[in-house]
Amino acid sequence: MHIPDGYIDLPLALLFGALAVVVLSVAAKRVNGEISDARAPLLGVVAASIFAAQMLDWPIPGGTSAHFVGGAFAAILLGPHLGALCVATVVTIQALVFGDGGLVVLGANVFNMAVVEVYVGYAIYRLLVPYGEFRAAFVAGWLGITAGALTAALQLGLSSAFQYQLLTTLSIMGVGHLVLGLIEGAITASVYRYLARARPDLRPNAAPEVSA
Amino acid sequence: MAWNRPDWLPRALAALLVLTLLAPAFGWAAGQVGYAEPLENAAEATDATEHATAVGTALFPDYGVPGLGGATGTFVSAVVGTALTLLLGAGIGRLLGADTDQRQ
Repeated sequence: MHIPDGYIDLPLALLFGALAVVVLSVAAKRVNGEISDARAPLLGVVAASIFAAQMLDWPIPGGTSAHFVGGAFAAILLGPHLGALCVATVVTIQALVFGDGGLVVLGANVFNMAVVEVYVGYAIYRLLVPYGEFRAAFVAGWLGITAGALTAALQLGLSSAFQYQLLTTLSIMGVGHLVLGLIEGAITASVYRYLARARPDLRPNAAPEVSA
Repeated sequence: MAWNRPDWLPRALAALLVLTLLAPAFGWAAGQVGYAEPLENAAEATDATEHATAVGTALFPDYGVPGLGGATGTFVSAVVGTALTLLLGAGIGRLLGADTDQRQ
């Protein structure tokens, strides 16, 4: 889902870059001074685990595949604001150090994966958590990555490189990630359930420093 | 100012090491099945692939290391990237920490 340079028209790239800056600035203000010393390293560990997990491309026979993005996972474990900063850190390093995703479109990539996927995933999780944490985390991961993909498809489909074929980009990326997102949901729910059972002190409600 | 190392940190670092060790294997397997993401499929369907440009000068392009073999380069990239995100993420967490104002 990392968009390279040249795919999105410059005005759109700038618009979504500005939106990403605004959202992340607000997120940073919301959590500033609220993270305990003991919990600060968790941000680094979650970011590093998301980076490493994103390197594991799922080898699905047939060609079309994806990798874990982790936006909903970060949101559930860290809270949405810290989760957004966490994924933004990953996406930025991927672009600057590894050339995964363009530099001009970095803001758009951050918006798709660190804003849309994180906040949509978190909203879905909060909505469904009364029906069970596992189910809520699964659907959050599943639909969170789909929402991020649809946003990317919107940006691409409104750009000249894609000949403004919005329906094509929305259908290919929307359906693709709706199916592949089931794996994202399964990983999100399984890892979160393991962590919640093994280390309940790491759950966000065990450290109320992150406000929704 | 002292860093309070949480007791879960060693196990978390071990898990990260396992993930980085898996990266070359997954990279190889993905290559075997012709890995392509829906974004690439959409680009091909709309003839957009030729518009992709690389303006950056990434140190580890495509998660590889120039001069190193595929698997080794992938592993080195995984280690470097994981360490970078770990340090940067923890640094941001520290910067936004509860006692920031008291330190300043």
